[in-house]
This record gives sequence, C-alpha cells and structure tokens, in this order.
Amino acid sequence: MLSVRLAWRNLFRNTRRTLLTCTLITSSLMVIILVDGMVLGMVEVMVGGITHTLEGEAQVNRKGFRENLEPELRLMKPDPITEALKNDERVSGFAPRVMVGGMIASTYNTSGGLIYGVDYQAEQQVSKLKQALIQGSYLTGAKREILIGKLLAELLEVDLGDRIIISAARVGTSDITQELFRVQGIFEFGPEEMDENFAFINLEVAQAMLGMEGQLHQIAIRFNDPEDAKDSKLPTLVNLREAEVEALGWLDLQPSVGGMIEMSNYASTIAGAVLFVLTSLGVINSMFMSIYERIYEFGVAKAIGTTPGQIISLVLFEAFFLALIACLLGIVLAYGASSYFEAHGVPMGRMEVAGVLLDGNLYTKVEAYQFVVFPVYVTLLTLAAAIYPAIFASRIVPSQALQRAL
Amino acid sequence: MKTVIETKNLARVFGAGETRVTALDHVSITVKQGEFTAITGPSGSGKTTLLQLIGGLDEPDSGDVLLSGANIAQMSGAKLSDFRRDHIGFIFQSYNLIPVLSAEENIEYIMLLQGVPEKARKSRVREMLALVGLEGLGDRRPSNLSGGQQQRVAVARAMASKPDIILADEPTANLDSATGIALLEVMRDLNQQMNMTFVFSTHDYKIMDRADRLIHLEDGVVQLDEFRNS
Repeated sequence: MLSVRLAWRNLFRNTRRTLLTCTLITSSLMVIILVDGMVLGMVEVMVGGITHTLEGEAQVNRKGFRENLEPELRLMKPDPITEALKNDERVSGFAPRVMVGGMIASTYNTSGGLIYGVDYQAEQQVSKLKQALIQGSYLTGAKREILIGKLLAELLEVDLGDRIIISAARVGTSDITQELFRVQGIFEFGPEEMDENFAFINLEVAQAMLGMEGQLHQIAIRFNDPEDAKDSKLPTLVNLREAEVEALGWLDLQPSVGGMIEMSNYASTIAGAVLFVLTSLGVINSMFMSIYERIYEFGVAKAIGTTPGQIISLVLFEAFFLALIACLLGIVLAYGASSYFEAHGVPMGRMEVAGVLLDGNLYTKVEAYQFVVFPVYVTLLTLAAAIYPAIFASRIVPSQALQRAL
Repeated sequence: MKTVIETKNLARVFGAGETRVTALDHVSITVKQGEFTAITGPSGSGKTTLLQLIGGLDEPDSGDVLLSGANIAQMSGAKLSDFRRDHIGFIFQSYNLIPVLSAEENIEYIMLLQGVPEKARKSRVREMLALVGLEGLGDRRPSNLSGGQQQRVAVARAMASKPDIILADEPTANLDSATGIALLEVMRDLNQQMNMTFVFSTHDYKIMDRADRLIHLEDGVVQLDEFRNS
C-alpha cells in the first residue's frame, strides 16, 4: 500500500525531529510503566505489611471488639468457626488469639500494653511474629514464656530471661489476675506502636489467665489466593458471619489503607494523564511542524486528486508509525529499567504510611499488562493527538498552498 | 473538435478596499481537444489564477468553468477532488514530486488514487517513463534526478491518469533554457501523438513560439487570443 509506504518514509525525512518526538513518547511510556510498577510495589508492601505482619488477610471478631478491644466481646463458641476454616480450601492458615490490655511490669519499670495470647504454631501460618524476632527464640508452648517488642524491652529495661509480670482483668468478673513470665524473645516489627506496646504469650496460658478457656477474641486468616481477601462477598467470610460475629477482609478492616491505595492509584492516573497531555502537545507540535514543512507537497497531493480522507489517513499512518517505533523502544527500555528496579529496588529510606513501615528499597512490580495496555494507550493517544494536525492538513486549500506556482 | 475547456465570464478578485486586486476580469475562453495553448502575460496578469480556476484549485467569484461539459465551479469537496484526479493532469513549477517516493511511485500514486489494478499500474508506469524518455530511471528518487528529469516525471504523472487536459503553470521556469525547451518538446510530442490537450503558462518567448495558440492576459483581461501553427 503506497500510502503506508509513504507514511513510513515520511518519518525519516527529518530524522532528528522524528527521534526527538520518539524520545518524548518513549520517555512517557517508560515513566508510566515505571510509576505503575512502583505504585504496585508500594501497594504490595503496604498490603503485605498489613496482612502478613500481624493482622492477617481477614479476621473473625465479635462485633464491636475491634473498636475498643473490650475483652468481654469474645467469640464464645469458636470451634464451629475454626472447623469451617480448617475445611475451607481457600484458607491456607488461621491463627486463634485472645487479646487484652494490661500492665506489663519489670523490676525496674511498668508500662501499659496489649497482650496477645497466640497459638505459637498456627501463628506462623498467618503472621511474621517468628520472623520479627531479633533476640532470643520463638514461643514453644511453655507456660512462662513471653515475647516483647524491642522498645518495650528498652522501656522495661529487661533482657532475655528477665522476669515480667502481666496484670490484667479477668473477663466476666473483672478480677485482677497476675502472671509471671520470662522474656523468651524480643521482636521488632518496625512500627513503633507494635514494638512499644505488644507482648505475646501462649494462647492456653492467656485463656487460663483471663478465665476464657475455649473462647477467643480473634481469628486471623490467610488465604491461598490473597485476592480472595478483597472480596467482601467471599463465601468463606459470608458463611462465618452471624448476628454478633463479623468476618471481614483487610480492605474492610483497614479502610484507611484501602483509601491510601486508591489515592495512590488516582495519583498515578493523574500523573499519567498529565504526562499524556504533555506528550500529546509534543506530538501535535511535531506533526504540525512536519505538515507546515510539507504544505506545498500537500497542496500538490490535493491538486492531483488526493481526497481529504486520504490526507488524514496519511498523517494518521505517520503518527501510528511514530508511536509504534516509540513504543517498541519504550517497551524494551522500560522492561530493562523495571526489571532492574524489581531486582535492586529504588532507595526510599524509612517511612511509615498508614501504620505500615516502608523500609529500605521499594521494589517495582513488573506485570505483563504494563507492556501491552500502556503501549496501546500511548499509541491511541498519539493517534488522537495527530487527529487535529491531520484535519488541518486535509483542509489545506491547494491554491493557497501552491502560491508560488500552480 | 470537441470543446474540453470553456470559461464564461470568469472573474476573481483578491483582497478588499485599497488592497483589492482584480486578478481576472470576466474572462471567456474556449479550448478544444488537442490544442497546445500557451497563456502568456507579465507577472500579475492573471495567468496562474486562470489556470487555478480551470483546474478547480480555486473558486471563481463569478462565472463558470466547464470541463468536458461539467461545471466544476459548482463542485466541491471529494467530488471536485475526484474530478481533478480523473480529468485533469497538473504540472507544477517546482517541488512537483513527492520526495520520498521514487519516480515510478510518483507516477503510480495518482493511479492508486484512481484504484487502478496493480498490473495495469505497473504497465502504465513503464509506458509513461518510456514516453518521457526516462526508461531505467524509475527507481530513482527526485533528489537523484535533474530538474529536467523531475519535470519529465511530473509530465508522466500528469499523463498517467489519462486526463482530458493537462494544465501546467510555467513548467520550465526553474529549468535552464535548453532543458526547458527539451521538456516542452516532450509535451509537444505527447500532444501530437496522443491528441492530449495542454494549457500552460509561460513568459518565455522561446516556449511561446512552440505553442499552437497564445492567449495573452494583462490585468486579468484577455488582450490577445491567436492561433499560430495550426
């Protein structure tokens, strides 16, 4: 097809301009792919921070418990729930817990804190408690062992093996109960709130201490497919819900993080849109320069019978080829850059976002759709940007274009 | 001989007020099939305007242009484009060819617009190149052809669509004298061999001498219309 050949060859009439425009489009595509990869990476870190640190991807709680951690609001008969979770193929693991606010005292100091009673084996399927240990060892099920945060250890001036007294109110009676523990391990999750206030003891010890044998406050869940947790109508969760029991995924448990993720997506969409607009202006400018340079030629082409539609096709073909070259280049370069940052990360320092610690490097996510969808967007955008110059070219009046001759 | 061009009271005015210029003042001419007509006159006499109006590249303020009986002054848009493509061949003064296409492709281009099948196109291209004496140079791009050769390609392109008339505005203006005359000889041969109607503008006396008919314009008015060799 001659007009296709013509369009292709026209691109190389002014190689410098074509290269500059290609560079603009290529750079935009690269930035869009990299930004998307970084946002995906950040979201993954944030979601991982929430779901894998302690909270789990979903939780079963007594309604109202999460709001003020009122110990009385417990799961009175958790066995049917744990049984259902055991038999659910979607669930990869779940961790039963009791949680109570209490006083944590050492020989030297006292602090308020949140004491978790955990099943040390089940907990490993859901949280990173074991991985967070920086000193000592993990729970073994023994009665007196306790894990505390690094900051709490500093506050209480205790070290491994030191004695700690936990005081808490028993559920039902509110009688004060006390138990002696010895520091088995010291953990560091990252967020100050956790490292300064949290302590973990074995589940059965906590149940006995609080007078709630066979009862729980919370069951944290992990799924085989993390996407399941985003589905608020997931049968696993829906079937566990009762009048007084809620079963929610992390998006419902942490709406602020959901909002942050949504905001990140909006931010990257806006950044992409701004970039698209700037690229469009560059493409429009380049196409107009190309048309003005060839205005006499368009006059000749129209004079000999080229229709306005054929002129529009020609300019759009040129834009298409421009986008094609730029996108191919952009895909290769963006893949290289994204893969590099996926392996080595982007240094981001240490920051806490919505209670989630982002520490060290941010690793971009490389997804196949980035190299299909975004180039298609960029190509469509380039074509859209070329429509105005194409219409302009199609409306060139031959007699005016040919002022210097017929 | 059948009439292929007829202009009736053709008028064209540019500008307004003090800058108003009457480019053509009620020009009526008739050109018959096979004529080799030169439009002459000094700069600003209206030669180019007359050719543009005959070619449907500009619209008259008043009057009619009939090409093979069709009034192109009343055509517009794609209909006019199609008419130009099928009935009129153009030769321009310079920058005539599409630089990124070879000589063959430039000639082929107009036939592509016409939807001529590939085999017929290729055959016609070869025929046209032979007619203008450019066999073997078809694969060259315009930048690799001399000015005279480029104008010959332009003539071949104008002929390729088998038009009723060929309009040329000072086709030799950018050529040296010998090349200009050689080009005109090519046009003349085609006119005589194929009975093709040529209307061209010039202010070169050597070129005028080769025309059958001279239409002399001054200030947009026909001052002289004479048949010479026929």
